[in-house]
Amino acid sequence: MSVADFTSLLVWLPIGAAIVVWVLPLSRYATGALAVLVALLEVGLWIEQAVRFDFGQHGLQFAQRGSWIDDLNVSYHVGEYGFSLWLVGLTVVAMAAAIGYGFWVGRDRPRAYFGLMLLLTGATVGVFVAQDLLLFYAFFEAMLIPLYVLVGVWGGPGRLGATVKFLIYTMTGSLLMLAAIVVYGLKVGTFDLVDGPASASRWLFLGFMFAFVIKAPLFPFHGWLPDTYREAPAEVTAVLSGVIAKVGTYAMLRIAIAKFPEPTSYYRTTMLVLSAAALVYGSVLAFRSPTLRGVVAYSSLAQSGLIALGLFSGTNLGYDGAVLQMVAHGLVSTALFLIAGAVERRTTTDQFALLGGMAKGRPALATLLMTVGIISLAVPGSAAFAGEFLILAGAFQRAWWWAAIGGGAIVLAAMYMLRAISGVLHEARGSTVDDAALDLRPGELALVVPLVGALLVLSAWPAGISHHSFVGNDPTRQVQEQFK
Amino acid sequence: MIAGAWLCLASPLAGALAITLLGTRIPRAAAGWISTATTGVAFAGAVWSFFGLRAHGSEHGTVSTAWTWLESGSFKAGLSILVDPLSTMMMLVVAGVSGLIVLYSVGYMDGDDEERRYFAYMSIFVFSMLLLVQGGNLLLLLAGWGLVGLSSYLLIGFWHERPTAVAAAKKAFVMNAFGDATMALAFFVLILHSHSLSFASSFATSAHLSSSTVNLVALGLLGGAAAKSAQIPLHTWLPDAMEGPTPVSALIHAATMVTAGVYLIARTHPIFEQARTVELVAAGMGALTLLVAGLIALVQTDIKRVIAYSTMSQIGYMFVGAGVGAYANGMFHLMTHAFFKALLFMAAGIVIHALSGEQDIRKMAGIGRLLPWTRWAFLAGALALVGIPPFAGFFSKDSIIAAALHAGWYGVVFWVVALVGAFLTGLYTFRLYFIVFPGEPSGYVREHHHMHHGHEGPRTMLLPVGVLAVLATIGGWIQFSPFWHPLTNWLDPVAATLGVAEPKNWEELVSSILAVALGLAGMGVAWAMYGRGRVAVPSLPRVQRTLEHKLYFDEAYDAVFTRPAAALALWLRRDFEEPVILTAGPDLGEAAFDTGRGLRRMQNGLLRTYVFFLGTGMAVLAIVFLLVR
Amino acid sequence: MSGPGIAWYLGVAGFLFGTGALGVLLRRNPLIVLLSLEIMLNGANLALIAFSRHAQNGAGQIFALAVMAVAASEVCVGLGLVVAIHRRNLALDVDRLSELRG
Repeated sequence: MSVADFTSLLVWLPIGAAIVVWVLPLSRYATGALAVLVALLEVGLWIEQAVRFDFGQHGLQFAQRGSWIDDLNVSYHVGEYGFSLWLVGLTVVAMAAAIGYGFWVGRDRPRAYFGLMLLLTGATVGVFVAQDLLLFYAFFEAMLIPLYVLVGVWGGPGRLGATVKFLIYTMTGSLLMLAAIVVYGLKVGTFDLVDGPASASRWLFLGFMFAFVIKAPLFPFHGWLPDTYREAPAEVTAVLSGVIAKVGTYAMLRIAIAKFPEPTSYYRTTMLVLSAAALVYGSVLAFRSPTLRGVVAYSSLAQSGLIALGLFSGTNLGYDGAVLQMVAHGLVSTALFLIAGAVERRTTTDQFALLGGMAKGRPALATLLMTVGIISLAVPGSAAFAGEFLILAGAFQRAWWWAAIGGGAIVLAAMYMLRAISGVLHEARGSTVDDAALDLRPGELALVVPLVGALLVLSAWPAGISHHSFVGNDPTRQVQEQFK
Repeated sequence: MIAGAWLCLASPLAGALAITLLGTRIPRAAAGWISTATTGVAFAGAVWSFFGLRAHGSEHGTVSTAWTWLESGSFKAGLSILVDPLSTMMMLVVAGVSGLIVLYSVGYMDGDDEERRYFAYMSIFVFSMLLLVQGGNLLLLLAGWGLVGLSSYLLIGFWHERPTAVAAAKKAFVMNAFGDATMALAFFVLILHSHSLSFASSFATSAHLSSSTVNLVALGLLGGAAAKSAQIPLHTWLPDAMEGPTPVSALIHAATMVTAGVYLIARTHPIFEQARTVELVAAGMGALTLLVAGLIALVQTDIKRVIAYSTMSQIGYMFVGAGVGAYANGMFHLMTHAFFKALLFMAAGIVIHALSGEQDIRKMAGIGRLLPWTRWAFLAGALALVGIPPFAGFFSKDSIIAAALHAGWYGVVFWVVALVGAFLTGLYTFRLYFIVFPGEPSGYVREHHHMHHGHEGPRTMLLPVGVLAVLATIGGWIQFSPFWHPLTNWLDPVAATLGVAEPKNWEELVSSILAVALGLAGMGVAWAMYGRGRVAVPSLPRVQRTLEHKLYFDEAYDAVFTRPAAALALWLRRDFEEPVILTAGPDLGEAAFDTGRGLRRMQNGLLRTYVFFLGTGMAVLAIVFLLVR
Repeated sequence: MSGPGIAWYLGVAGFLFGTGALGVLLRRNPLIVLLSLEIMLNGANLALIAFSRHAQNGAGQIFALAVMAVAASEVCVGLGLVVAIHRRNLALDVDRLSELRG
């Protein structure tokens, strides 16, 4: 089995494990342990791939191709580029942390739960490695099914409404994207992303983009975000914010921008405006959100806007910054929501009015929340800062006002994140905080500390990702040549 | 030399990591010793690189890069440090004064529950400040800049049960974040034109930029400097920052962090020299601040706040010096100020410690009788601050005042302001001294005062104060321009004083005499009003109230920024997010349902209706076919 | 062949068809509806046979026979339904028989 086979293995191993978990009547502990084991195995496989990846080679690596629907030129084509390698890494790490969290917390109906989480892992990796449009669509939808069920069954009190909302929004987008895929595939004669030519059709671009701006999400298509993020279980929200949101921005890069160069430049200003709007709107709303989850949710909206700003700036700095920020924010967001989950388990709430003073006597919680929060607001020197700096420098090259808006967002981020940290940790003890609310236990630390460690390493060496996402020193040319 | 610089940078970081990872496994005091030791090692590293540079020949700096920190396209920024005359001077000042203050903290913070956290934060701060001054390119300087702001937030809000402390910490961070943003924008301009943020290429590029562009770059840098150094209009965070423990105020808000703005101007002076107007704006800002802060200090009743406003005022002097082009003079005053201001804070800390936390000067009368050694130390610092020879402040402050005089007509304005400032400095400093130290101990003092094992304070607190008292006295003797100026010579390769700011001898003489005279006059007035009480303090209630409210800046900022931002957020949430966005999806679903419900009415189950539709439809089709065919 | 022109036959056929159609639309008793349906069918049959005769083509008459067979089967089913409805004591009124509604 060569390293190239790992790509398919990364996709199908968790799906296979999901089936095993659903079929075999294992005990709760065994199911959870198996799921965690498979997740860690995924991380191991990815590390092996990352080590063997040749960052100087053009084109798709670790590719595999098999025939599927030959008449329409649809094939099972998977492979990785530099930037998709990092996103696959983010997925497996975040899912491992989430599965670990689910194991630690103990969810009911464990076999269903872990099966769905494993299926989610496989499908999400599939989205990042798929190089055929119908295959991409299949994984895109496959990714949503476990999410609906996870939110709808294990979520909070308003979960049904949230699921319905989530469903309506994403389905609308997906259907438009399917139409666009079919038209594109039939028009150019192939559904393959690597072989297929670029297209100048603006309608197709809009069809694709509609699905992606709902997924990312960007303003004003984010209606599903607050409710879903609030009602989903903490680890599912972590995955939604850290990984699934990045699917949207990844797809913008891989499909919309790469395959539709002329519409991209035609709609560039519109997309920049939407991205900036998401950045500012998300930051402003985060500033007055009454709950910890609300702050991080709107912050995610803002970050999606920032990443899209980088992508649509169309500059080298913008592209590199966007990829770096996708990984950095993915890790940050996962860690923040897991910590929020830990806080909720101890106090049954995440409202600031009822929390406070948790830093006293809980050094691990305080240190980790503080560290992750500070990195999240992109304090200079952190990985998130490096990503934000590159994106805004790239946007500045397009026009000065995008960067100026970004500068305002930097100040807003400081305001809302510090408010959130203080709301949980500082001042007087909240009414829901009592002595029984312990500091983070070793199990929880085992989930969060590796994420924080990865962030600190990334903060010491952001060039690790920013310089290793696109071949050569020229992402713009890579995009123009559609990553060939 | 390079190894010394890396040692200097890495040592406090290692200390912070050690304290964090060891956690509760080490006793609380051990954290303090780890922090002190690593800071001491940093100072040793600074000394090593200083002597190494001297031996090597200090014409230009050496940049040493560990690895590439950030790279994208043709933009590349390494994790590099710079060893040159300016950075080694700052390393010595920062590491040295930090070491003394961390040692002092061992005594001051003894017994606090969270001592380990405190010393971890202190070490992070020392690391950040050293990163700032040693950063080998603008990006790394910005990283140090931001981390210093972070450390300040962590330390101001150290006693986080106190809402005032938490609020002050947030305010400091947000205002500094604003400065970070303006600096980042300036950097974006530089990247656009040169694809690099190394010092050399940025300075070279700025020479080729259009005048408006380079003015914007300099303005962005100035925004960051003003925020960090608490110059008007970005000064409101500094008085609130006194919520932090006194050693924090001494280290961060007197000796090191707040002086970073001056360092920035000196470091990036080639850019500022291309944008001379902005440089003079910096000087003007400094002049305004030095005056206003001096006035506000006259009415403060909290011992730390008087010293804080004094800091603001003295940094104003440094900005005037750097702004007119006398970089070495500005840096000289930075150094002496670090000595005497840290001394003043730490002496105040001994008083506060002895009175178990009281900071109101009206209650402290006569404590000099019970703390004589502290009193003399404070007096040394006060004389240095006012600029009385032979104390340190005299040499450094007067050189700035003289440079201002020489620098053209605007310089004369600054000169006048600086002289008025000298009078005010004498007045507020000795108002503080006379209210607190001499005379009979007040009832409050007698009741609450406690000695520390028969001494005025623990030895870890007294020793650094002693060292600084000595430095405040003799520290200025390193330069007495125009006769002997080794410091200016040392900094000349990297921060050459502009010709316009080199005062003539007569200008020096006149400035010095006037400054000292006015300082003494201020002291005299203070003695008359507060020492002897012969002259009543003039009562100008409106002026008093305005000064007490710090010229209403806080209220203005609250009204212009904070409340509109909160109002905007709430309005958006209530009137846009909830009605429009959150309901868009379900509305779509509702629309689908309604359409279905409407159409469903056609299916009424009645045979006749169906037959009717059938018949009509067929008729229509038949007609269509007949006509179309 | 002598006799009235085709137009007369078609007229009668149309008259029968129309009568039947009106009966289907306007009458409430399902038995009468079925009866009207039969009249419609007979009208159509007449038209078929007339055209067949006129065009000298036998296909129309054969088709008319087929129509008669279908009519007969459909009447059986319809009457069966009517009997079943009556057995359950439901009103024999098409306006009231509307359970198969949306």
